Amino acid sequence: MTQRKRPSSTQSSSQRRHTGNLVAQDEDDDVAFTQPSTSQVQRGLEKLTPAQVDQKTAEVVQYFLVKDQKKMPVRRADLVKHVVKDYRNIYPEILKRAARTFDQVFGLKLVEIDPKNKMYILVNNLETPDKASPIRSPSNPKMGLLLAILSVIFMKGGVVRENLIWNTLKKLRVDPGEKHEEFGDVRKMVTDEFVRQRYLEYVRIPHTEPIEHEFRWGQRADAEVSKAKILEFMGELHEQDPKTWTQQYREAHSLPNSSQASTSSSSSSQR
Amino acid sequence: MKRSKGGGDEEAPRQNGSASRRKADQQQSDGDEGGSDIGPADLQDDDNDQGLRREIRSKYRDLISSVQQNREDMLSPSNNKLTEVLEEANKLFKDVRQAREAALDAQLLVVATDLGKEKASQLFSEGTAFDPTAFAEHLLSFMGLNRLEDDEDEQQTTANGYLPQDAWHRLARRAECCFRTAPSFHYMMGSFYAEPPPPKQRIERQRKAPSKEAKRIMPTQLKKMEESQQEATEKEVERILGYLKSYYQDDPTSPISYYEFVIDPSSFSRTVENIFHTSFLIRVRKYLEVKNKIKQCFHVSAPVEEGEVEAGGSTSRKQCILSISPKIWKELIDAFEIRDSIIRPPNTQND
Repeated sequence: MTQRKRPSSTQSSSQRRHTGNLVAQDEDDDVAFTQPSTSQVQRGLEKLTPAQVDQKTAEVVQYFLVKDQKKMPVRRADLVKHVVKDYRNIYPEILKRAARTFDQVFGLKLVEIDPKNKMYILVNNLETPDKASPIRSPSNPKMGLLLAILSVIFMKGGVVRENLIWNTLKKLRVDPGEKHEEFGDVRKMVTDEFVRQRYLEYVRIPHTEPIEHEFRWGQRADAEVSKAKILEFMGELHEQDPKTWTQQYREAHSLPNSSQASTSSSSSSQR
Repeated sequence: MKRSKGGGDEEAPRQNGSASRRKADQQQSDGDEGGSDIGPADLQDDDNDQGLRREIRSKYRDLISSVQQNREDMLSPSNNKLTEVLEEANKLFKDVRQAREAALDAQLLVVATDLGKEKASQLFSEGTAFDPTAFAEHLLSFMGLNRLEDDEDEQQTTANGYLPQDAWHRLARRAECCFRTAPSFHYMMGSFYAEPPPPKQRIERQRKAPSKEAKRIMPTQLKKMEESQQEATEKEVERILGYLKSYYQDDPTSPISYYEFVIDPSSFSRTVENIFHTSFLIRVRKYLEVKNKIKQCFHVSAPVEEGEVEAGGSTSRKQCILSISPKIWKELIDAFEIRDSIIRPPNTQND
């Protein structure tokens, strides 16, 4: 039944593979989507004109840029279902070209933050400035709040109970129980929006009565936020040398890429 | 907690019942288990046992709730309350006989070890400890907190001072240095003025094209004498060339005054047309050369013979813009005393 629903002709190879996966095809699109091999990609490319491939690449780039406005990660399943569609047999090639476009045209990096679920985000590839930019472009106050939360989590070893965060925020005049004039529903913003954007992780602690959660850095934070720079900021605030926090200093300056998500350009076979 | 209490009260008589039955069975058997001191005294302890069991269970529940309620208190490294709780539990455990109490003991242990883990993580930083309260204070200062004693400010009941409007924006701007956020895609909401390519290139191309066209078109003109709209201009140019040549034949040496050549004293519009057509000849530079740009009077030299054409562009190319208005036209007529037009007006066929 589901096979008849699928678009025809250009997907002969992927259709043959999916004969075993008739069940839940729409829900588990990603599970059903198996990475085409290099030779399949080659064959697929031969059947298409360069203009068609470029067009599809451009569509993928636009999709990413619009999704990035809300800082929501892009799932591979959504990308294939809504944008790539018939061109899924050359998907790795399209993604490779899109990554190159991001790098060369926009100065952005396409990062895979979740190898298991295949989620991607865009990260700035350019050097972060040392001081705040002299251009007074509108800034997002949520980033300020996020910085405060991420700093606390990092300085406290990477995991904190939610109460610590709520108490700290209260001291900053942001009460999760009340509606804040700038942020609105603070609790929802922190536990829902930041989590969906993958800046934070909000996990339930087992065996707690009443239910408590803990906060950790999210995958996007790992890719986007520099721990060294946060430590520098701490040093400025407390008027101390960042090195006095030896444990955090070590973590921030150890392997620069160890805590960051692997980039998509490194492993071409696992996209 | 509530569930376990209710369950305990219901199950207690049953358990005691079975326990007492067990004891009775044990009594009947002839001392199978050597260690059990079974005697008439145990049957009497049934009621005490029940009470004791309940007491133990209630003590355990108290300990568990104390750990959970006073969590913050116990976390503080300044006291040993957690250790005291564990010692208390140890004492209770000696009297534990049944699964019910053991389960509560296990539950207490889970809660206590959880707390213990957190206490241990407090010893995380071997360097300076990090105090979130101090951090919050520093952050408020950074955001520009005005620590004034403001009696009129009713909003801030607990703390002193008030935050400026852009407090969080200040922090956000500082955050930009720590984050590698991709700038969001947004519309520019403005015009985008694209610079044209460097003008020199354009001029060269423009100059080359008409000369080619002129060369190409000229021969065909001679073959076909049809009159079509598109060729009207070229025909005119041809015609004017004819006038020029006839003029030259009359007087080969002297240059022609430009204005005398193009102006038609009877019609301003015809003058403009003449200027237009002559400009083609000048541009081509095959038939006319403009010399002596003195006082806006161009003297035109003799037309070059058709064999001696220069290829493409060679010597200095100059451009000039000639403007003429009816007023100037009249002044020119008076200045040059032009009475007749050299270029005869075209036949009325084309009009």
